[in-house]
Amino acid sequence: MTPMTIIEKIFTRASHMDVKPGDYIWADLSLVAMRDFGGPNVIQEYESNLGAASVFDRRRVAITFDLHVPARSEKVAVNQKMLRDFANRQGVMLFDVNTGVGQHILLENGMVRPWDIIVGTDSHMNLLGAVGAAGFGMGTTDIAGAMFKGKLWFRVPETIKVTVSGNFKTHVGAKDLILHILKDLTTSGALNRAIEFTGQTIRAMDLAERITLCSMVTEMSGDVGFVVPDQHIIDFIKSRTDGPVEPVYPDKNVVYASNHEYTVDDLTPQIACPHSPDNVKEVAAVAGTKVDQVFIGSCTNGRYEDLEVVARFLKGKRIKAGVRLIIVPATMEVAKAAVESGLHELFLASGAVVTNPGCALCTTGHPGILAPGEVMLSTSNRNFVGKLGKGAEVYLASPITAAATALTGEITDPRSI
Amino acid sequence: MIIKGRVWKFGDDIDTDQIYPGKYLPLTDKQEMARHAMEGTNRGDEFISSVKNGDIIVAGSNFGCGSSREHAPVAIKGIGVSVVIAESFARIFHRNCVNTGLPILVLPETERVRDGDIIEVDVVKGTIKNETTTEELQAVTLSKLELQIMRAGGLLAYLKSAH
Repeated sequence: MTPMTIIEKIFTRASHMDVKPGDYIWADLSLVAMRDFGGPNVIQEYESNLGAASVFDRRRVAITFDLHVPARSEKVAVNQKMLRDFANRQGVMLFDVNTGVGQHILLENGMVRPWDIIVGTDSHMNLLGAVGAAGFGMGTTDIAGAMFKGKLWFRVPETIKVTVSGNFKTHVGAKDLILHILKDLTTSGALNRAIEFTGQTIRAMDLAERITLCSMVTEMSGDVGFVVPDQHIIDFIKSRTDGPVEPVYPDKNVVYASNHEYTVDDLTPQIACPHSPDNVKEVAAVAGTKVDQVFIGSCTNGRYEDLEVVARFLKGKRIKAGVRLIIVPATMEVAKAAVESGLHELFLASGAVVTNPGCALCTTGHPGILAPGEVMLSTSNRNFVGKLGKGAEVYLASPITAAATALTGEITDPRSI
Repeated sequence: MIIKGRVWKFGDDIDTDQIYPGKYLPLTDKQEMARHAMEGTNRGDEFISSVKNGDIIVAGSNFGCGSSREHAPVAIKGIGVSVVIAESFARIFHRNCVNTGLPILVLPETERVRDGDIIEVDVVKGTIKNETTTEELQAVTLSKLELQIMRAGGLLAYLKSAH
């Protein structure tokens, strides 16, 4: 048999036929998700075409509320009600405004395992590759069809292999690495491709770091990104679910579409400058740029481990007067842990605003957007023109660079504090 | 499926906000949506006022990048465009075209087609005859599976008829 990559193996199992890159296949889905943004369109499309037809399996359809939570306007309230009513009618799973970022909720609830194919209305579904699952962000009709039949068509992507070696210097980590890779591969570098991240540096990464890496495959136009699950990831999944957990590995001797090698020994803190995620520089190169606001959170950097790093940096300090620091835990589980361990109190003492879990400042839908001319440093994944307010500028960096910047009011290399 | 029409050229990285500006997202009527097709591009007004039924869009790389809004292919199809040809398409836009029944073709050398040329396109075979320059080109066609979905009238129609 021809050696296979991770995505080829997953698609082979889910399509019940041997696949190779470039093939078009129908694949069985493990889970179909939609959220408060996009979800209402799916339901309209579903019901206008299929009426009251039952979903393929109500235990494998999940609705998550994470973008405009709690409802920020009457329009959003109507949309959210539409989702709750649909969940009641169909008996599908619903995670309401008190839960958090959808993909993280699925992970925490043991609904994501290696080999799974999971589709959703969120363009960052692919962060599920952090545990060896194939997550795909899709449009309205796709999700409506997926919910109806539990299967969808796919093109089997070629795979890019990214091998990372070396040890990070102090205050440098996964976000700096993925920004560095983005600069190299660019925002179109993984179009119609899967990425496998491997190597000594990656194996040492915890779940939060793997999520950071995999989430930003979207910004390279990639289909999906994977990290081979190591024992601590398998242990995490097993602790959340009763079912069997079987890791998925690429075969030896696979021929990849391309190979890219990086070493992190000399990597410095990185930052994506306005208005593209691949407009990446060393933080030191733009140090001193004044900021009005700092956001720490999102599906890319909203885990407890991210907040812990920030807390260590902020401990006993106050943020710069005139700067707004907004911290948003990815999920309620993270928020509770932050309260219990004292991080929450520490953040409040530093002058931060801590809001309820969710996607927060990834789009203009959330409280905290910017006025024209204002500048924000964000730990999120996108900095397109106008995405957080017309005429505003957004920089993307790591949680620790964000914390350092909140302390000084200007973009700051954390190593300089 | 053979289509003949006038070519409207567009550049690289035409995102979904250019194809269908975000401010019209609340619209649900497909005819109303069609009135804003390509409105956010640098020749939006000219396109909307002069495009004719059957006309063809030819664009550069990464056409349809940005958000996952399905309004984009629906508006393009609704205004009468018969096929979109580009050097490459963004993944979700590509899927949305197939799922909503807008034919697309990938053509590496779009510079061989000029704005205003009249071309004849065989969507199934991928052959393009440029009647203006008399040149013949070969595009990458959609897969058999995608053509089946498109012929059925889109994804939901296909799934309803499939057993």
